[in-house]
Amino acid sequence: MADVSATMDFRRCDAGDKLRGHTRYTVDRYLPGMLHAAVLRATVPSGRIVCLDTAKAARMPGVRAVVTAADAPGKIGIGIADHPLFARDVIRYDGEPLAAIAADTFAQAQAALAAIEVEIAPVTAVLTMAEALAPDATLVHPGWRDHEILLEGGAREGNVAWEATVVRGDVDGAFARPDVEIIESAFRVGRQNHVAFEPRAVVASYEDGRFHIETSTQVPWGIRNATARLLGVAASQVRVTVPPVGGGFGLKFDLAVEPFAALLARASGRPVRLVNSREEEMLTCLFRENAEIRIRSAVTREGEIVGREAVVLMDCGAYGGEQIFLTTMTAHTLGGNYRLGAVRMVSRAVYTNTAPNGAFRCCNGVYNTFALERHTDEIAARIGMDPLAFRRRNVLGDGDLGATGQVFEGDVLGPMLARMDTLRDAATPPRKLADGRLFGRATTVGTWFVFVGPSAATVNMNADGTATLVTSGVEIGSGSMMQSLPQIVASTLGIDPEKVIVRAADTDAAGYDVGVGGGRTTVSLGAASLSAAQEVRTKLLKVASDMIEAAPEDLAMRQGRIEIAGAPGSGRTVAEVATRAQAQIGPVSGTGAFTGAGVPAMPGCVAGHFIDAIDIPVFAVHDCEVAVDGETGHVEVLNYRVVQDVGRALNPRAIQGQIQGGVVQGLGYALHEEVTIGTNGRVNQSGFETYRVPLALDVVPVEISLYEGAPSIGPLGTKGAGEVPILNVGAAIACAVANATGKRVQELPLTPPRVLELLLDQKPDLSLPHIAEDWADNLVRPHGTTG
Amino acid sequence: MALTLNVNGDRRGFTADPVTPLVDVLREQFHLTGVKPVCREGFCGACMVLVDDRPTLSCLMPAALAQDCEVRTVEGLAANGTLNPIQQALEACDAVQCGMCFPGMVVTLTHLMKATPGATRDDVRSALTGNICRCTGYESIVEAAVRALAAT
Repeated sequence: MADVSATMDFRRCDAGDKLRGHTRYTVDRYLPGMLHAAVLRATVPSGRIVCLDTAKAARMPGVRAVVTAADAPGKIGIGIADHPLFARDVIRYDGEPLAAIAADTFAQAQAALAAIEVEIAPVTAVLTMAEALAPDATLVHPGWRDHEILLEGGAREGNVAWEATVVRGDVDGAFARPDVEIIESAFRVGRQNHVAFEPRAVVASYEDGRFHIETSTQVPWGIRNATARLLGVAASQVRVTVPPVGGGFGLKFDLAVEPFAALLARASGRPVRLVNSREEEMLTCLFRENAEIRIRSAVTREGEIVGREAVVLMDCGAYGGEQIFLTTMTAHTLGGNYRLGAVRMVSRAVYTNTAPNGAFRCCNGVYNTFALERHTDEIAARIGMDPLAFRRRNVLGDGDLGATGQVFEGDVLGPMLARMDTLRDAATPPRKLADGRLFGRATTVGTWFVFVGPSAATVNMNADGTATLVTSGVEIGSGSMMQSLPQIVASTLGIDPEKVIVRAADTDAAGYDVGVGGGRTTVSLGAASLSAAQEVRTKLLKVASDMIEAAPEDLAMRQGRIEIAGAPGSGRTVAEVATRAQAQIGPVSGTGAFTGAGVPAMPGCVAGHFIDAIDIPVFAVHDCEVAVDGETGHVEVLNYRVVQDVGRALNPRAIQGQIQGGVVQGLGYALHEEVTIGTNGRVNQSGFETYRVPLALDVVPVEISLYEGAPSIGPLGTKGAGEVPILNVGAAIACAVANATGKRVQELPLTPPRVLELLLDQKPDLSLPHIAEDWADNLVRPHGTTG
Repeated sequence: MALTLNVNGDRRGFTADPVTPLVDVLREQFHLTGVKPVCREGFCGACMVLVDDRPTLSCLMPAALAQDCEVRTVEGLAANGTLNPIQQALEACDAVQCGMCFPGMVVTLTHLMKATPGATRDDVRSALTGNICRCTGYESIVEAAVRALAAT
């Protein structure tokens, strides 16, 4: 219901002020009388708090408020509520908050922190998943049985915070067939830090008995609800507003510093600013989790995958958090891409005494795609089939079943592989480059999804011909709020996208929203905005119909006018009609709402899952060429190509910007972004010097082809485009390096020392003894039973 | 101690510890919050300013050393509010995403345009080595700079 296309070459309107240095992010907000806060954090990974005395600190110069565990009675989490705001009696990770102080200056707040008297009795720490899963392991949560359960169905026991399983078909039968090869692969990946340039930051006030939290977040409603739960107040007592956000990437999909500032604001009666230092960001960011994966497949000589089983261990750190939800995703990522005869997979979120992990762009998908694609190459090698031919034969197509039994619609991956063939250099590549380096190439596929969920929007039509779009959406840099949403509203109303004013997120002004992430902004907020704009359109056409004396269905909205279709220049301007409407029936507005469709899965296939099927699958095909230096182990990316399923590209240039950026973030993950944890339980990489992110000289321009037309329930056929570009970068690089070196790549990142070890055959085959040989022995309880 | 700085053509006195990083003085005394303290250890380049026309990391420079110098921040690069050629090119190429690194990027590239008007694509990439961006993957920034250079 629009007379002009929503596909536009619309430039984002926030660029000018960002280029002038005028944009005020949360870190740039200073309020009159504002106090500065700092958080005391544990410096051991595990311990019992014997004494925590803040009396002396409270008397230090400039100190206005001190808060501790006693001020925050609640616990939060996904699936289970296991996470208090402050350590209570027990310390579970290095960096865990113990107390927070607000003072007139930041220096005074820090000085007061040093005056808090703390005595901690050490407790043995479990720092790795291997340690956590050992039979006699110390429990990170000895009271795990007492955690409040928020979602029924997940199996839990000891250091296994959550376990999700998927079983479809007769896997034992498939593996016992006489005509199959059994291929087994093992993989391990470390953590990745988002390094959002704006750290997590908040300014909180307490006004009229309510908290006002101004924060750098992707999830205003999530912050509202979780803060209320931790503080033990009604959610309606918390208002969250969000200035422009200086980078999210999933880091800000969860609560961080907000409740500390809220408590201190209430205690002091003054606005309180709390900003994480870069070191705090590096040590306690909600990392992409480290993971360990074993996957086995039963494949016929002809290349049919008749059976597949896998065990995925994901380290959730000291608290369950996002990883509990992510156990669901393994079925759709590691269980994605290919047609499978029978399948069983278990994902376990494992507690360790390390900083909690969280969400990061294509969370779970990035390493499972790495594992799946490397495993796929190992299968192809075993049965003597070309890896690309194997993929063409097996990728999901129209009517195929996913791991949980959902039926996929449309042939998408097959044509995308064909599209990649047209991008790729047809010439036979050299095995060795002129300079002696090893040449490698790979083509990988990936399956991701749009995390749909509820969204709300209101469009207010102003008498001057502009429209105000009110949502809880946040502009984190991706441009969705600055480009796709105004384009959708503008095309529906036939006005310039410049004339759509996008209201910054405010939970007091707009309805519930899941948050900006999971590729859902254009889809969910876009669908709500579209339906709100359509209501406005209907109302305006009715008023215009009287003014122009033509039936509404004969009218068109374009170029800021409502006119008789086919008679340009007839009719009235939108402003004139809006003004008349305002006088006749009152100001015109429309509301819209959206949530997921709920695609069915096969009954009984899943246990402990948060979703059974994926509403909007998103596919990606990546291809790269690398040069590996045999002397140094350095990997240079020579070319990188992406064919991405976008449904429909509303703003192709903006999507290309997301793809280039996402691929480069993936190159960092694949090649040099490495997080390690010392024997003291602390993350070793405390800043930019030790954590190596991609620089301008590291990257190549990505060749991009946007694949449009795949089925989508998204508005106007759209799918999320900003999250998925990172999905198969680790996979593509790993497969290309394996192709170049002829070695078994089992770990990321492929730093020069790791590549050299491979080349020199000094790298022993990856052994994961804490994954039991028999798949069923890895389960807390058998699939389909209740605990 | 009492210090005086010339920033974006304004001369102003204030009291601070002489080793206070210039970035903090610019943000807190001069309210120039375009200057971003992202890493505070001289790696990211988001706090880049021009000190006597030289790109300088304001997180590493003690404020007292900037006395008697001309300091120019990103806020001082758009004369009368009109974007300079590199800012215009970055806007035209839709290069900006979250925007936190752009104040430093703009300072570095403005200097490059002036100091090396014949800079090549590789010169641009080298010049950006000290400016990290986590969103864009650099390509659109490099492209904008190449365009701006070609137009001069």
